[in-house]
Amino acid sequence: MKRTLHNAIFTLTLGAMSTLSATHALANQADAIQVSDPYVREMPAGAFATASFMTLSNQSNQAIKLVKANSDVAKITELHTHTNDNGMMRMRQVPFFEVPANGQAELKPGGNHIMLISPTKTLKAGETATITLTFEDGSHKQIQAPVKSVMKMGGMDHSNHQHH
Amino acid sequence: MNTSQKTVKLGAIAIGILLLLFLLFSFLTEPSTNSPPPPKAISNEKPAGGNFTLTSVNGKQSLTDFKGKLVLLYFGYTYCPDICPTDLGNLAMAYRRLNEQEKSQVQILFVTVDPARDTATRMAEYTRYFDANMVGLTGSEQEIASVAKQYGVVYMKAPTPSNATTENKNYTVDHSAFTYIIDKTGVLQTQIPHAMSPAQIQQQIKTYLTP
Ligand SMILES: [Cu+2]
Repeated sequence: MKRTLHNAIFTLTLGAMSTLSATHALANQADAIQVSDPYVREMPAGAFATASFMTLSNQSNQAIKLVKANSDVAKITELHTHTNDNGMMRMRQVPFFEVPANGQAELKPGGNHIMLISPTKTLKAGETATITLTFEDGSHKQIQAPVKSVMKMGGMDHSNHQHH
Repeated sequence: MNTSQKTVKLGAIAIGILLLLFLLFSFLTEPSTNSPPPPKAISNEKPAGGNFTLTSVNGKQSLTDFKGKLVLLYFGYTYCPDICPTDLGNLAMAYRRLNEQEKSQVQILFVTVDPARDTATRMAEYTRYFDANMVGLTGSEQEIASVAKQYGVVYMKAPTPSNATTENKNYTVDHSAFTYIIDKTGVLQTQIPHAMSPAQIQQQIKTYLTP
């Protein structure tokens, strides 16, 4: 009896210690996430940082947290969000982005983004950045994000208005 | 189960309990510390606007130098990773879609709210990227503060996170992100919010260009 109780406490404690990570019953989280339209914004010469945007789609029945990103093109990579506080734009680091079960998380200008700080060089359109995403269970996903110019993309205008 | 296994188990339990107590403690003590600075109010009244004199790479420039042109005035900083390039990119796109005659009547001005890092040279380099005949302006902390006040622009250095270690250069600046539309006589007509599309900006330009 005492032993059973010990075992129960032991299990609960371990559970608490490892929080929500590494649930072996599930396939790894990276496999459940699909990344579409990733890109890095081209930066003006000498800029100190730029950002990467993409859409993350969760194909599992559980919410998945993106907890970390790394890139070969920046010394520091952080997860950031913006809040629009009555017109005052505040950018802050956040510990994770959550992708809802069977849903999407959109990283886009003015909102959540992967911030590439102290880039190793000025990133120009046509180049590609490798970004490694790490999820809460420790699984990784590596993506190739092309560098795109804000101007050639038509800024945030999605009207397909092209001059050629 | 032998003794050593039991010891390991008890050890794990002890660590677990300590961890839970620690978590509980940190939850309980958290709220009082680390509260953000109170936000400065952004006024909902239309700002007065008016003339100002700042410094471009070509020397002193005043708003009155652009009399006869519709001026699109934006405040930001060159280290801005997302908000400024989005808005300046959209302004530039709108400008580049105008015909030559319209272009000759429109001027985009970019004023830094981070004069400590944004020199006139840096502003010129940065604005050149957008390829829209933009003029970058800087000044002393005081000059910038006074122009900002005229236009109801609010800005402050963000509390810096971990990455500010190396040089103290990695700070970001929270700032309001409106574009001010000033008519050909120098009168502030309206302010448009962050992330207006090039098409929307173009519409605004057309509206205020026609007398
Ligand atoms: Cu950021």
